[in-house]
Amino acid sequence: MTTPLVEMRDISIAFGGIKAVDHASIDLYPGEVVGLLGHNGAGKSTLIKILSGAYRRDQGEIYVDGKQVEIYNPRDAKALGIETIYQTLALADNVDAAANLYLGRELMTAYGTLDDVAMEAECRKVMGRLNPNFRRFKEPVKALSGGQRQSVAIARAIHFNARILIMDEPTAALGPAETAQVGELIKQLKAEGIGIFLISHDLHDVTDLADRVTVMKNGEIVGSAKVNEVTQDEILGMIIAGKCPPNATPGPGAVNL
Amino acid sequence: MTDTATGGTGAASRNRDSALTRFLRATEIDSRILGMIGALVAIWVGFDIYSGMLRPSDGLFGGTFLTARNIWTLLVQTSSIAVMATGMVLVIVMRHIDLSVGSILAFVAVVIGSLQVFWLPQLGLPIGHPLIWVIALVCALALGGSIGAIHGALIAYAGIPAFIVTLGGLIFWRGASWAVIRGETVAPMDKTFKLIGGGISGTTPGSIGATASWGIAFLICAGIVAGLLYGRKQRRKFEFPLRPVWAETFLAVTGCVLVLGATYVINRYYWPTGVVNRWAEQNNVTVPEEGLDISFGYALPVLIALGVGIVMTFLATKTRFGRYIYATGGNPEAAELAGINTKRLTVWVFALMGTLAGISACISAARLDAASNALGLFDELYTIAAAVIGGTSLAGGLGTIYGAILGALVMQSLQSGMTLLNFESAYKDMVVGGVLVFAVWLDQMYRRRLK
Amino acid sequence: MKFAVKTLLASVALASVMPAASFAEGKTIAVSWKTFQEERWKTDEAAIKEVVEAAGNTYISTDAQLSASKQAADIEGLVNQGVDVIMVVAYDSDAILPSFQLAADSGVKMISYDVLVEDPNALYVTFDNVGVGRLMAQTMLEKGKTEGNFAFIKGDKGDPNATFLFQGIMEVLQPNIDSGAIKNVCETFTDGWKPDQAQRNMEQCLAANNNAIDAVVSENDGMAGGVVSALEAQGMAGSVPVTGQDGDHAALNRVALGTQLVSVWKDARVLGKTAAEYANQIAEGTDVTTLDGVSTFNGGPKGVEVPAFLIAPNAITQDKLAEVIDAGWVAKEKVCAGVTAGSVPACD
Ligand SMILES: Nc1ncnc2c1ncn2[C@@H]1O[C@H](COP(=O)(O)OP(=O)(O)OP(=O)(O)O)[C@@H](O)[C@H]1O
Ligand SMILES: [Mg+2]
Repeated sequence: MTTPLVEMRDISIAFGGIKAVDHASIDLYPGEVVGLLGHNGAGKSTLIKILSGAYRRDQGEIYVDGKQVEIYNPRDAKALGIETIYQTLALADNVDAAANLYLGRELMTAYGTLDDVAMEAECRKVMGRLNPNFRRFKEPVKALSGGQRQSVAIARAIHFNARILIMDEPTAALGPAETAQVGELIKQLKAEGIGIFLISHDLHDVTDLADRVTVMKNGEIVGSAKVNEVTQDEILGMIIAGKCPPNATPGPGAVNL
Repeated sequence: MTDTATGGTGAASRNRDSALTRFLRATEIDSRILGMIGALVAIWVGFDIYSGMLRPSDGLFGGTFLTARNIWTLLVQTSSIAVMATGMVLVIVMRHIDLSVGSILAFVAVVIGSLQVFWLPQLGLPIGHPLIWVIALVCALALGGSIGAIHGALIAYAGIPAFIVTLGGLIFWRGASWAVIRGETVAPMDKTFKLIGGGISGTTPGSIGATASWGIAFLICAGIVAGLLYGRKQRRKFEFPLRPVWAETFLAVTGCVLVLGATYVINRYYWPTGVVNRWAEQNNVTVPEEGLDISFGYALPVLIALGVGIVMTFLATKTRFGRYIYATGGNPEAAELAGINTKRLTVWVFALMGTLAGISACISAARLDAASNALGLFDELYTIAAAVIGGTSLAGGLGTIYGAILGALVMQSLQSGMTLLNFESAYKDMVVGGVLVFAVWLDQMYRRRLK
Repeated sequence: MKFAVKTLLASVALASVMPAASFAEGKTIAVSWKTFQEERWKTDEAAIKEVVEAAGNTYISTDAQLSASKQAADIEGLVNQGVDVIMVVAYDSDAILPSFQLAADSGVKMISYDVLVEDPNALYVTFDNVGVGRLMAQTMLEKGKTEGNFAFIKGDKGDPNATFLFQGIMEVLQPNIDSGAIKNVCETFTDGWKPDQAQRNMEQCLAANNNAIDAVVSENDGMAGGVVSALEAQGMAGSVPVTGQDGDHAALNRVALGTQLVSVWKDARVLGKTAAEYANQIAEGTDVTTLDGVSTFNGGPKGVEVPAFLIAPNAITQDKLAEVIDAGWVAKEKVCAGVTAGSVPACD
């Protein structure tokens, strides 16, 4: 077996008294899509935000390519090739799509100034692939629709040669055509050998796209399973009751029957 | 980048638009700036007509306000606040505030004042040594910048709100400036340093004369044309829609006419006879019967403010630094998640603000030819007011440098105009306060309608 | 408090029975400062302390830190300590009246120092403030201009002193204004007595009158600095007489350079010395009204007649600069910086 692209071991974080993530371990291999499932407030977003550098864990280790790494902030994560589409989208509302796409990684002219024209041109290309109807390049993203904003956030995550992509409910606000587009995109990225964590509440999406699923409940991992070895009902049982089916590897959160 | 007035909406809406909207879209002019310029023109014309009714003079409309001399003085009086307002815009865009700029100004002024008058002479640089003004200037920038950086670090790394840190600074630095000179007034400033204030030192004026003023005007015109051409080239390179040629021409012509017109007016302000005579005496020139017309040209503080405005606009719109400031102001969390070091950015922004306060300290002390701990009292309020009148939103994320400079000019115009008309100062304060609130209300209305 | 008053009354009664005994002990003279954050009060204090201690008395002080209530508590405390005389630099001259009453009831003698407190029993020692205005105007008429366009740069509109000064100025100039010799062409208040504000006002005044300004009456030295800068920009500094007051070092330098006509100087040490001498005498039991040189004053807002000694200020013009230097008020190098040799006697 190859070394995992990412491995998070025994991760815990608490906010005040709430253990948002409790001794969770999870891994991801190159070219693999891992679906992260769980009820609202299960701790999915918190777990991946630790990986993306938005939060600092209280405990546990993170390995990338088998080597232990320290991720203190989003810059560290980006340096390791980890890109994230946040559930809250995290766009700078008052600047336009191109500025958001390149935020933190602006294109510069030969004189060391911002190359707005080049950025806009690139942005038009990327958005053309993701959301061909998108026209409002000059507007601040505040003026865009939820789906348009989502397209911008996705564009930003995939545009910089990520090796590890985290998608926290990327299609929540998208129309059917755009959702299908994102599905195609995920398959294409996967084929390029990129590892993807996909968080979604849509079981169909997940079973269609993911190779494995990991289920969380109350901050703990219930278990992980290969998608083709468990049924949808069994996955639902994991999410709702924390019941780990026989074909899955149980985690600390599994209910013992 | 941040203006909302432009953009390529669909062709359907285009047909419904009025001629004005079409004009604004084609030229990509921010309609708010037009509003502000309109207000400024109204104020100027109003004051000129009114002062002319009381006491006819040779202003454009028969008053005292629109004379070359008053415009020249008005610009000089505006420069110190204008310089600081450009920094305040960025501070407010970052969702912070800086209440300490007036006190920093006083502190820097008394330190560099003491430096020129007491300390450097003690260290062996006699009064009048040509190095003194350079050292004073460098110290002013460094000192202002360091104080700002300290404020910024307390805000960013110790997590104390900017309002509190700079409120503390407002009190602290005012006290510190008293402590440096024990309430005395330090005067006079170094002869060369004094020129930064725009006044006359002996027979050397703190302004650049007619020829150099025309030179700068033509340089700016060339800059405007080059900028438009470069923008057009860039757009063509990436196959973006171009502005119609008539719109480009209009922008170029209007810009150049404004610059050259302003220079013409400024150059019509001549040396007062007292100075001319002294100068003539020193240079063995006989002054003809009808007098000698020697132009002041642009004053140094005005050129400094202009330079600061250009540099700050460049920083705000053309560099990463500026982009990050606006992005952080729009959504601090998103900026942080995008990998921007918002803490370090905060320190830099406050350091920049402090440096600008240092520049203003030089202008103010040089202009007054003295430094005292009362210098710059209430300047923080005028600076914030200038930024806000200029369209900076206290909610963060929105604001332009040129807006703040125009805001400072509007406020100083009101004050100078009312002084010219011998308004009682209580009424002056009431008018300025009222205008501040009114301007912000107008801006809000405008933005709401835009939505 | 009642208890304290009673014991004090008792001790005062005792003291008046046996004056000789308390003489031997030495008296205690207290000063209640309104603030000690300003440099000038340190000068006053040194002068007071010297005189008080030279007479074998004890000097103590309190600092009200710019709070009327703290000052009231301070005075109450001093009364309770049984001091003989309290000099008060009042922060709020109305709010402090009950404290004066209390002290008088307890037999403690009061002196209002520099700031008027309208208590008919308290001695008021100050500089003649209306006199400062008069003196400025007189000097202007004698050594400056007697006719032409005059500009008046007044202090902060909220400060009653600005108005007092102006009254004095106008008293002297009125005849010339009535005769048409002097024209009042600009008159402005200056927020917070700010020099830069005064400069702006002066620039506007010059512009409005096309530089036809013959004299400027500025109510203090700081503002005079702003005025001179504005004049200098028009090449008029030195030819237009400018007044001021305070004896600011920079202003005295301008007087030497000829760009300012006069700085009316109120020597804080004279004030301190005079008040302390009176305090010594009052402490020994001399009645206030019989003190040498004391007359009455009723020019306050309520018109109460108080015993008072008004010290005449000193108009420092170029020919009198030696006085400030000899008094040790300012170093000669400071006054004479940049002065052409031989042009000012005091600088040679
Ligand atoms: N910044 C925070 N401060 C305090 N509590 C937090 C914070 N972020 C998350 N939590 C808490 O941690 C728990 C897990 O939240 P998380 O956002 O990870 O859930 P989730 O699984 O992503 O849910 P959803 O499906 O609704 O997105 C919740 O109880 C939440 O209230
Ligand atoms: Mg979530």
